[in-house]
Amino acid sequence: MHLNNIHYEEKKATHLRRIWQTFIDNPLALVGLWAIACLILLTLLTPFIAPFSPEAQNSQAILMPPSWHEHGSVEYFFGTDDLGRDIFSRILHGVQLTFGMSLVIVFAALFIGFIIGAISGMMTGLKSSILGHLFDALLSIPSLLMAILVVAVIGPGLTNVFWAVGIAMVPQFIRAIHQAVHEELQKDYVTAAKLDGANSLQIFWYVIMPNVWDILIIQVTMAISAAILDIAALGFLKLGAQAPSPEWGAMMAQGLDNLLLAPWTITIPGVAILITVLSINLVGDGLRSALVPKRN
Amino acid sequence: MWQYFFRRINLFLATSILLLLVLYIATGLFPVDKSFALSGIATPSTEQQLQINQTYQLQQSAFKQFIAYIQQRLSGDFGVSINSQQAVAGELTRVLPASLELAFVAGLIAIAFGVPLGVFAALTQNVFLQRLILAITLTGYSVPVFWLGLSLLLWFGVNLNWLPTSGQINLLYDIDSVTGVMLIDTLLSAKPYSFAAFQDAVLHLILPAVTLAVLPFTIVTRITRQALTNVMEQSYIRAAEARGLGTSKILFRHGLPNALVPVLKSIGLMLGTFASYGIVVEVIFSWPGVGNWLISGIYQRDYTVIQAGILSVSLLIISLSIFIEMLHTAINPVSRKELYASK
Repeated sequence: MHLNNIHYEEKKATHLRRIWQTFIDNPLALVGLWAIACLILLTLLTPFIAPFSPEAQNSQAILMPPSWHEHGSVEYFFGTDDLGRDIFSRILHGVQLTFGMSLVIVFAALFIGFIIGAISGMMTGLKSSILGHLFDALLSIPSLLMAILVVAVIGPGLTNVFWAVGIAMVPQFIRAIHQAVHEELQKDYVTAAKLDGANSLQIFWYVIMPNVWDILIIQVTMAISAAILDIAALGFLKLGAQAPSPEWGAMMAQGLDNLLLAPWTITIPGVAILITVLSINLVGDGLRSALVPKRN
Repeated sequence: MWQYFFRRINLFLATSILLLLVLYIATGLFPVDKSFALSGIATPSTEQQLQINQTYQLQQSAFKQFIAYIQQRLSGDFGVSINSQQAVAGELTRVLPASLELAFVAGLIAIAFGVPLGVFAALTQNVFLQRLILAITLTGYSVPVFWLGLSLLLWFGVNLNWLPTSGQINLLYDIDSVTGVMLIDTLLSAKPYSFAAFQDAVLHLILPAVTLAVLPFTIVTRITRQALTNVMEQSYIRAAEARGLGTSKILFRHGLPNALVPVLKSIGLMLGTFASYGIVVEVIFSWPGVGNWLISGIYQRDYTVIQAGILSVSLLIISLSIFIEMLHTAINPVSRKELYASK
């Protein structure tokens, strides 16, 4: 390019800026990001927005269809369930349980998985292999079976979902981080840093980690969507959140008795789960296509 | 190569023992008496109690108990079901084939539709179609399986009344269980209505199999598309084009075999999630398989059933995933090269 202005300095975008640019070039990913931002906002603001309490029952309005139906009423936007509870308020409160819970679980699992995975990845030989494969046995137990095992030991309930899904998730993080760190460790630029006299902590944090973050971010988005589906599945099977709870999967289980009479008590929580998971996957997909070309 | 197989088999043994250890520890943590959780006999007579103590070495050290536990479980003794008071191993052999049938058919549907669609998505120049396929697969990947199952059940089973919604076969047909796989049993049986029963079994299979197939279908489609797009840019494809080979020959001889290698790998990685989904699908469609059996086991706190179910499904997954990994190495020269280089 010919520059007319001699004072003009060509600006080079930073690494992060370029990733962000690629990311927002994908409109679907941006939609997903907005949806997630709204969900996070909802998790914090639900008690102030929801028109009713999630347990408030109205015996005058039982199984009322959603407002767009001819028998519906705007007062109950998504209709009511068999106890006359407002589904809209319950969905809003469910954001906190299903989505908020998944975030908590994933970050707790990430914390533990990161520490173990990083240590085992930095080590070599038998020790590394033992630490890395120690949790492979847990990896082979499907998350739902792990949850069944946890429920058999400590009984059903929302707090136990935390342990069930969390225990199933930690080995995945350990494996992902272990592999990523191990792979980077073989590369020449790490050897160069070693020859420069960097100790292993410096190598890990300043040399290897900058190249592992993107894998970690992708893994986290995948884990969040898997966690939401697991929490909801457990609620649906009545092994997780229990009856009056507005957790989305549990709401569907409660609506199951009226499946034929009032299909919206099932459809609406289902759509809520679908939209949430879809927007997270859209962001994950966008991030992957923004980050991965850089690796090759 | 042999050394590699040997290492894989070692890994399989180590993982299985760890799995048994996890189960053994969990059994000790169940909120009931240990001998009850191990054997399933609620109020044993003095003789039975002595017998249980003897088989599970309950008076001995924890290590000896664990060895006795492994011996019992691997010899096929899972105790009796707390609920039905029948041998758990017998129940397991009854429910396992039904689950395998469902999983196999679902996997078949996923591959039969996923691979061609993935190939089509990779080869088409139409951006709109590409986007559409991506959107469909992403939605299929995100949809909660229990909601999908219920919606299909409500729509095709109840509103349209096309397909039966629960069970493996209409109870009117009396089919003797030979293999436990209903599709084979109906054909094997010598009853006059065996073909009608077969048709009925197929109709019963459609809804659960399609519901279960959605997840592997989307993953297979995505991976096939990705892999084939990569492969088609390789220089050996251009070389094949330069030699004047036709498109279909290039695709089937040079493109697809290389593109299917990552698909195989992704199938191996997907097994755990697939099993979780299978359990939910079995519960929704009252499919008489392991998942349904396990879930009713947990509702009734049937501890012996829970152990047997988790052990059998997990062992199946471990062995299948290691088998797929070995297959992957055997057919993929590139990963063999890595193998030798790392030594």
